[in-house]
Amino acid sequence: MTPSSRLIPYLYVLPLAALLGFVFGYPLLRIFEFSFKMVRGIDGPWIGFRNYELILGHSLFWESVLHNLQLLLAIPVMVAISLIVAVLLSERVAGWKLYRIIVFVPFVLAIPIIAVVMKRMFQFSGPVNEMLRWMSLDFMALDWIGSSDVALWTVMILIIWRESALGIILFLARLLSLDESMIEAAKIDGANWWQRLWHIILPEMRGVIEFFVVVSVITMLAAVFSYIYIMGGGRGGPGTSTEVVELYIFNALIRSSLPGIASAASVMLFLVTGVLIFLLFRVRRRAEAA
Amino acid sequence: MDKSAYPMFTRRQLMITSAMLAGGAALGGLSKGAAAQVKDMDMWYWGEQELPGLQKYVNDSVAKYTAANVKPMLQDTAVVISQFQTAAAAGNAPDVQYLWNGIYHMESVWLGYVRGLKSLIKPEVLAASNPTLLSHFGGDIYRTGWYPLPMFWCYNKTLFEKAGLDPEAPPKTWDELLVTCDKLKSSGVEALGGGIQDGYWSEWYLTHSLPQQLDSLGEAVELFIGDKDFRDPKYHQHWVKLAELKSKGFLNKDMSSLELYPGIDLVVAGKLGIGQTIGTRLPADSKATGGKIGYMTMPVFGTGKLAATPIVDVQGLGISANAEDPAAAAAFLEFLQSPDQLKAFWEATNWLPSNTTFDSSVIQDPSVRGLWENWGLKPNISNVTNLMPGQFYERAAIPTGQQIVSGAITGEQAGELAANTAKEWKDFNPDMVENYRKWVKDLSSPT
Repeated sequence: MTPSSRLIPYLYVLPLAALLGFVFGYPLLRIFEFSFKMVRGIDGPWIGFRNYELILGHSLFWESVLHNLQLLLAIPVMVAISLIVAVLLSERVAGWKLYRIIVFVPFVLAIPIIAVVMKRMFQFSGPVNEMLRWMSLDFMALDWIGSSDVALWTVMILIIWRESALGIILFLARLLSLDESMIEAAKIDGANWWQRLWHIILPEMRGVIEFFVVVSVITMLAAVFSYIYIMGGGRGGPGTSTEVVELYIFNALIRSSLPGIASAASVMLFLVTGVLIFLLFRVRRRAEAA
Repeated sequence: MDKSAYPMFTRRQLMITSAMLAGGAALGGLSKGAAAQVKDMDMWYWGEQELPGLQKYVNDSVAKYTAANVKPMLQDTAVVISQFQTAAAAGNAPDVQYLWNGIYHMESVWLGYVRGLKSLIKPEVLAASNPTLLSHFGGDIYRTGWYPLPMFWCYNKTLFEKAGLDPEAPPKTWDELLVTCDKLKSSGVEALGGGIQDGYWSEWYLTHSLPQQLDSLGEAVELFIGDKDFRDPKYHQHWVKLAELKSKGFLNKDMSSLELYPGIDLVVAGKLGIGQTIGTRLPADSKATGGKIGYMTMPVFGTGKLAATPIVDVQGLGISANAEDPAAAAAFLEFLQSPDQLKAFWEATNWLPSNTTFDSSVIQDPSVRGLWENWGLKPNISNVTNLMPGQFYERAAIPTGQQIVSGAITGEQAGELAANTAKEWKDFNPDMVENYRKWVKDLSSPT
């Protein structure tokens, strides 16, 4: 192969690479640049790491980070729910194909739609509390979206409900592709349902579970804006009780006219998410090698 | 070469032809010049979203206007400011731009994107349009008023009657308010409130309550930028009063989980005694209740010079620094303030234009007429929350009310939060402090 023929494949991908570089690379570079500037209007003076200093010394930023970390608690719940439902569906109970469609519906619907509906349901005088009161469970009729103590957990319920749908479909697809002969062999050897699940099914599903966890971590850190925006009245409220880093960035950019601060926070979120993804995949590679 | 194969073109013919061509070119230039007398102008505006009919009014107006060819564009809510600022920075801003009040246009003034109007618009036209004090900076005025947004407390007269209260005599003082709320509560209805989940009720509460302890709007800016201290009891008394309403059980129980407009609907539906509302809702709400929606200024607890003054926010229009012919843009703004155009505005939107010379005889609804006479024509102040930096608005103005209503903090703690936020703002915006301080001088002049 001549040197020029080796270059030809790169020439083929060059237009697309250039387009991607322009669409993603240029904005990313500008965000990095803005994070070191006090931007007013569309540009501003260079101020070094001042934006980063201000953010790291800002109590609201840390409160937002804490809320993102609290949302990570939803992931084990999502994994557990997804596993249970997927395993039950994989038993091919009567009507399982219909159930499969039903459980996936939340994931197909746009987040704003389900968030608006959920918000109505969880109002203080909404259907959820009305039902609880009807069942004489008044003590459980909380101010789900109006109380600073409860609001974030209410958002978490919504996230778990919707995001678990993806887990169920992923897990079910893996379950249906398992080598049935292994499970049959275990049955013949006398393994009960629980033993088959623990010793055969789960180890086989390890890869897809890890993938779902990685996707969910990214979601909780960098893709919950729509949930928070709708459920938190567009502001991460009540007060700042549901504010997350994405909303912090949005507020800095749109509502406080601080593009430099928004860029610095975006860079930090980008780096943290990137490092986490890298670490998770590295752990997975080591596990596979072992 | 056989010359006879080509038509002969004498020098004389060449001169005649040249003269004709030159004449034609000159005439063409003249006609172009004549066409250029009609200026092309761009106008970016917003408002159809809050005032249905405005788009039709604008389209009709530009069609009627013959001195220039005005091309209007309705903007999306999310980009009204950013789209204008980006265009202005690139030198492509429209000639005429819609401007929200206060800091929402003042930042563009500070960036040099908006022209002062004192030298462009006739003083009497500018004054009649009520651009409000919030459009004053450095001795100039940067907007004409377009349409007013009176802000007031509303109450349900039917519920007042049921509670044994005089529906034509709403409470004027804080003590009277507490008695009124007590009677409403005793009659079995929730006394006061609305919906605060989206935060706007919190903002409107500040709009009505904070000025009660202030002598000028400039004093408010000094608070927001930390030159005065919210920890001073005088400056957080309004939040203490809100906490008092909460502790006495006068606020509706679902207030924290309802949004602003569903909360106002409770008053209209006869489920809530007193709420906060805005003028543009009054015609429909009054009609829906058979004239049973009353309005009042917030009952007085404060001792500031601004206490009990009606609140009228005003949306406006300005001329961008990029306007090629500012005089032509100014002429268009004056055209919009002409009597015929004010009448056309009313007919298209069923709402008031911002002009004290508006012939209000066309207003049929007594509630709307009363509102215009008492809020629009008498001394009024603008919405103090339009003076807040965005950071203060999001971090203090909204959360304080929400947290007091949900019982999470006290009025004093709200003052502490606001003071800390003002300090934070200064750290984040050192380059803006001087602009705000200069603005204080304009805002501290007699209202």
